[in-house]
Amino acid sequence: MAPSPSSLPTAISSLLLLLLLAAAVSVYSSSPVLEGGIRVVSAEKRIDLTGSIVKVFLTLKVENAAAAPEASQVLLAFTPTEFERLAIVKAARAEGRRKKKMYIPHAVKASDLAAAPNGHRLYSVLLSSALKSAEVTTLEVFYVLTHSLEPFPAEITQSDPQLVYYRDSAVLLSPYHVLEQTTYLKMPSNRVESFTRVDPTSRTGTEVKYGTYYDQLPNSYVPILVHYENNYPFAVVEELVRKVEISHWGNVQITEQYKLRHGGARHKGVFSRLEYQSRPSISGLSSFKNLLARLPPRVHSVYYRDEIGNISSSHLRSDSHKSELEIEPRYPLFGGWHCTFTIGYGLPLQDFVLESDDGRRYTNLTFGCPLLDTVVDDLTIKVVLPEGSKNPQAVVPFVVEQHVETSYSYLDVVGRTTVVLKKKNVVGEHNVPFQVYYEFKPIFMLAEPLMLISAVFLFFVACIAYLHMDLSIRKS
Amino acid sequence: MAAKAISSPVPVDWYPTLAVVMVAVGLMFTASFFIYEATSSRRSRSLAKEITTAAIASVFLGFGSLFVLLASGVYV
Repeated sequence: MAPSPSSLPTAISSLLLLLLLAAAVSVYSSSPVLEGGIRVVSAEKRIDLTGSIVKVFLTLKVENAAAAPEASQVLLAFTPTEFERLAIVKAARAEGRRKKKMYIPHAVKASDLAAAPNGHRLYSVLLSSALKSAEVTTLEVFYVLTHSLEPFPAEITQSDPQLVYYRDSAVLLSPYHVLEQTTYLKMPSNRVESFTRVDPTSRTGTEVKYGTYYDQLPNSYVPILVHYENNYPFAVVEELVRKVEISHWGNVQITEQYKLRHGGARHKGVFSRLEYQSRPSISGLSSFKNLLARLPPRVHSVYYRDEIGNISSSHLRSDSHKSELEIEPRYPLFGGWHCTFTIGYGLPLQDFVLESDDGRRYTNLTFGCPLLDTVVDDLTIKVVLPEGSKNPQAVVPFVVEQHVETSYSYLDVVGRTTVVLKKKNVVGEHNVPFQVYYEFKPIFMLAEPLMLISAVFLFFVACIAYLHMDLSIRKS
Repeated sequence: MAAKAISSPVPVDWYPTLAVVMVAVGLMFTASFFIYEATSSRRSRSLAKEITTAAIASVFLGFGSLFVLLASGVYV
């Protein structure tokens, strides 16, 4: 006998429902955010707002749930705006207690998971040893945000102080459940115009404390706005081209072309040089007139000039560890003002070019910009290798755009192999050594003298030929 | 990793001295070449001697001018 007509559709629909449920569960559990059973036991976020660059120190005490599988990574979430302004993210694990404390660095990479809601972007901290179930570890995360302080008012006169807005969240944006957390904001001075209150919020002197908050759900975000005075010089290098020319005759020549801008509140009204110089404590507080560049030791032939010519207002101090070049642009820089200049210097070859075990040579230079406390929007490093170099290979500890081109210089025939490295949004933390490996046969060094010798010899041959020829019409 | 520093084949401090000495020697050979050309008649000249003097002069002048460039800061 056939089953009753009413029971069949019910069976099918219940089966469908079950299937749907199973699918939903599998989608949910496959969401990588929930890998392991990680939750943040306690989080402390310290935001340093004293400079023009925002530095964030995050201490996360992470715990893996008792019945969860091993976790190999911990995710950090950023809003889309933060992600764009993020210059560098570093993570380390603190090991040992007190004085024997050691920091073991962890690799951090941008995660391409699309699982985060509201367009939040994720970075994953790859743990060197997987976090076992019911294990707790402390992660120290450091990241830098550039262009995150918005001047308000956007235009100020010479005698106004510079006020800026900073936007963030009172609670930690995290894909995990956060049990306990506090956020500290450090300002440069007591002059704080306003800050959003998210109770409990307290302010002591230059510091604003948000929290302690308990039991925050994943991806919670409570926007806060801080308005405070910041007269730190907002030096922004819009474009920096560093050209490194290597000569095996004993020199590494570096030429740096800067396009500098004051990135703070725009200057409005007139500029009075008299007031600027007679009352420096109230006039032009946010402007700056000098910059410090930290160069390697043993630099020689340092110059500082622009299109007009040499700029005489610079000082060089050297010791055995570093050289410091203090430069003053031709005029003090106010908000929105630009200046362009060039710095050049020579370095001894033996300090920067080395030979590796496999016979290849490599340069060991510092990435980034030598000017202290500046943001470089667009950095280009050109490493011009000597003529006859082959197979260049750049080793940089972070992602850079690179290509190889040929450039011509003195006494060149085939041109010099040039490795071009490009990176956007560079801060002081990017000043780390990088290497460019290349193959070079020392015999190629003789190319230049041989060229000069043959030129002189051709002149003599021409003389001999002329004196041996009889150009007279009359027979002698 | 035992990386070995690479230095120039000639110490950098010697460049100005080398430049002066080699250009001077080179110019002396050039002078002797032209004196020989001017004082000997076309028939009595020996091509071998001319070529030898020219070659020595050009070697010294070539290296001399290279060291002049290096000493003045034009690192080729």
